[in-house]
Amino acid sequence: MLKAIIVDDEQHCINRLDGLLQDEGYDIEVMARCKTIDEAQRKITDSSPDIVFLDVQLGNNTGFDLLSQLDTFDFEVIFTTSFDNYALKAFKFSALDYLLKPIDKIDLASALQKLREQRNLKETSKKIDILFHNFKEGNESSKRIAIPTLDGFAMVDTNDIIRFQSDVNYTHIHTLSNKKITASKTLKYFEGILESNTFFRVHKSHLVNLSLVEHYIKGKGGHIILTDGSKIEVAVRRKEELMKKLNPGLES
Amino acid sequence: MLRPIKKTCFSLLIIFLPLCGNSQGVQLDSLRNELEGHTLQDTIRAGLLIEIAGEMTYSSPNEAFPYVKEAIAISEKTNWIKGEALAHRQKGNLYYVLGDNLNALDAYQKALVLSQKMVNKQLESSLLGNIGNIHADLKEYDKALTNYRAYLSTAQSLNNRPDEIKALSNIAIVYNDTENFEEGVAYLEKALALAKLEENNLFIAAITNNLALAYKKLGQNEKALAHYQEAADLAQQIGNKYIEASALNSIGKINVLLNNYGMAETNARQALSLSKEIGAVEWESDSWEVLSQVFENNGNMAEALDAYKEHVQLRDSVLNEEKRSELTRKEMQFQMERQQAVALEEIKRQELVKNGYLLGAILLALISILGYFLYKRRRDALEKRKVAEFNAKVAETELKALRSQMNPHFIFNSLNSISDFISKKDIQQADDYLVKFSKLTRSILENSEKKWITLEEDLELMELYMQIEALRLENKLNYRISIDESVEPENTLVPPLLLQPFIENSIWHGIAPKQGDGQIDLLIKKDDNMLEYIVEDNGVGRSATNTKAKRKGSFGVKITSNRIDIINHLKNTNGSINLLDKTEGLRVEIRLPLELQF
Repeated sequence: MLKAIIVDDEQHCINRLDGLLQDEGYDIEVMARCKTIDEAQRKITDSSPDIVFLDVQLGNNTGFDLLSQLDTFDFEVIFTTSFDNYALKAFKFSALDYLLKPIDKIDLASALQKLREQRNLKETSKKIDILFHNFKEGNESSKRIAIPTLDGFAMVDTNDIIRFQSDVNYTHIHTLSNKKITASKTLKYFEGILESNTFFRVHKSHLVNLSLVEHYIKGKGGHIILTDGSKIEVAVRRKEELMKKLNPGLES
Repeated sequence: MLRPIKKTCFSLLIIFLPLCGNSQGVQLDSLRNELEGHTLQDTIRAGLLIEIAGEMTYSSPNEAFPYVKEAIAISEKTNWIKGEALAHRQKGNLYYVLGDNLNALDAYQKALVLSQKMVNKQLESSLLGNIGNIHADLKEYDKALTNYRAYLSTAQSLNNRPDEIKALSNIAIVYNDTENFEEGVAYLEKALALAKLEENNLFIAAITNNLALAYKKLGQNEKALAHYQEAADLAQQIGNKYIEASALNSIGKINVLLNNYGMAETNARQALSLSKEIGAVEWESDSWEVLSQVFENNGNMAEALDAYKEHVQLRDSVLNEEKRSELTRKEMQFQMERQQAVALEEIKRQELVKNGYLLGAILLALISILGYFLYKRRRDALEKRKVAEFNAKVAETELKALRSQMNPHFIFNSLNSISDFISKKDIQQADDYLVKFSKLTRSILENSEKKWITLEEDLELMELYMQIEALRLENKLNYRISIDESVEPENTLVPPLLLQPFIENSIWHGIAPKQGDGQIDLLIKKDDNMLEYIVEDNGVGRSATNTKAKRKGSFGVKITSNRIDIINHLKNTNGSINLLDKTEGLRVEIRLPLELQF
């Protein structure tokens, strides 16, 4: 029996999650239903839950505020949110699980199954660190990302990533420290997360860090040379946009 | 003034002096006295000066120049054009006598301009004669003839017989010089007839002498002899020893040819004494030549040799002089030609410079025009691009507006469905529907922000939509999505939710009113550079749909149609929508430009 706490400032959201957890007959006991972060903090300390369902928007505060007030995490977190692109992006960066409201019972089932299978509090703590880092820094220049690998997660600063290369359903990530990380996600996944950053998909198989481009070699699509000396082909259809990105002042 | 003696080609051609005179010296002295008495700088003094210079033409031409110069100065000061013209002509005469053809021509030309200015035909024609002489000397026979002819016609029109005679004679001389003796004889005969009418013995003598020479050249010795004799007699009669000596020598030469040596000797000795008298070396030489031939014939070899020596010596001196004058003339000619060449060169140079400037100007103009056109083209291109960019921006904005228009339309339709479930008290279905609807709404909200999404994503959305609608119609709706092998859904980009209004149309107005299950087939294929969507349903079709529903359904279709128009405008393509009525249901064909991500 897993112990759970639901944190949400809206009663109908609490009711729905409560109902879904009971209806489906999960092996989960809801210990408390909190509407404020203070209450939640107390309950978490008191009852040391296994799972916290945490709403992102809690009145004037956020779920992140609650987490930052806690000294240690010995529980898993599943965020809940209705529509918040900023938060979603943050979750994706840190690879934290989240449920979109209104919560779909299928989504809930898969989230809980995943949690049971790969329960790893140490990693959760790291993911939350990344979340805090990205929020605290607040700037685009220093972001960290939790990369799902075959055996867990790799925490990497996006500035250290030179490029992503797709390999069917996997992605190889080349970093400045000459490390090669193989992620269990598609290139499209990373492109989605890093979209508005300095990363640009120059080719079907390549997502590169534009700030680490050393040279562009002219051609039909051309090639770019990155800091590590790798020569990456540019797709003809991506050339124009790449030029705009590399030379923002060129187009007036 | 007639031309001076032509020594080179023929032995005698007659020169007519302006004032012929034995009394030359006397007249000159009296004129000088008159000049001394008249110091006033007026036309009278100028006239005197010109007259004195005229008298000095043959005796001392070099000393005559100061007189001419003063005459020109006075004439200019007193505005006496005729005087100025006469003075210049006299200056020309002086130069001519000195063999300076170039300066002579210059002076004559000045005089000619002045004479034309004051319309003095007489003066003008005589100047033409003078200029003709120079051309003849320079062997420019065509020019000489032209001038002489002008001279002749003016003389004829003015009824000035002496000038006419001179003109005819000179024309004849030119013909003789060019060895056209028949023409020469004809002109000389004309001149002779006029001279006889005029009863001018000097002219008659000179012309007869020339005529005789022409006949001799034509080989008519008898006729030549008769004419020479006539000339000699006439010359003797008027006391012109020069012509007489020449004629006698010529007679002598013919007599030698006719073997009348005795006669020849008489002629030659007579000529010799006359020549010596007047110091005509050239005739003296001729006389010695005839005598030498006579002595030779008589067997008197010593005398013959002496005579021959005399002849050669004198001839050489004459020839030397001739050579000198020839040389001078040649030099003059050369100088004139050189000056002409220089002038021509200068004209050419100036023309070149002018042409250069012109060419430069044209080039500059062309470059300017070209530059302007290039500038204009570039400016226009920039302008065009700006306009195009602006249009694109406007179109994008419109597209965005159209995309956001889609959402409320769909949202309210869906809300309507949920309301329908609730009213039927099917809570579970309402919940399922709602969750799916919220997912779809989220996706739509996310994707409608984008210009293009992948076909894969768009089809996921459409499937979700059809699932929802199937739920609403309680599984009355079946759907099938087929993608042609040539299409790569993950690499093909499409405008989001373009198909939704047509699917909606098929469901709401085709399948919903229908009895029994409905089927929607969605087919995506590639055709050249176009992507083709085909939405087919087996619904009731358009004819069965009432007008109200038709209008309602066409709202989304209209939006899609506008979106395709904008895409066509931006991409310069010909995307289209076609609605085809089937016996059962509707077939919609949408063609879009194929866009690939990579």
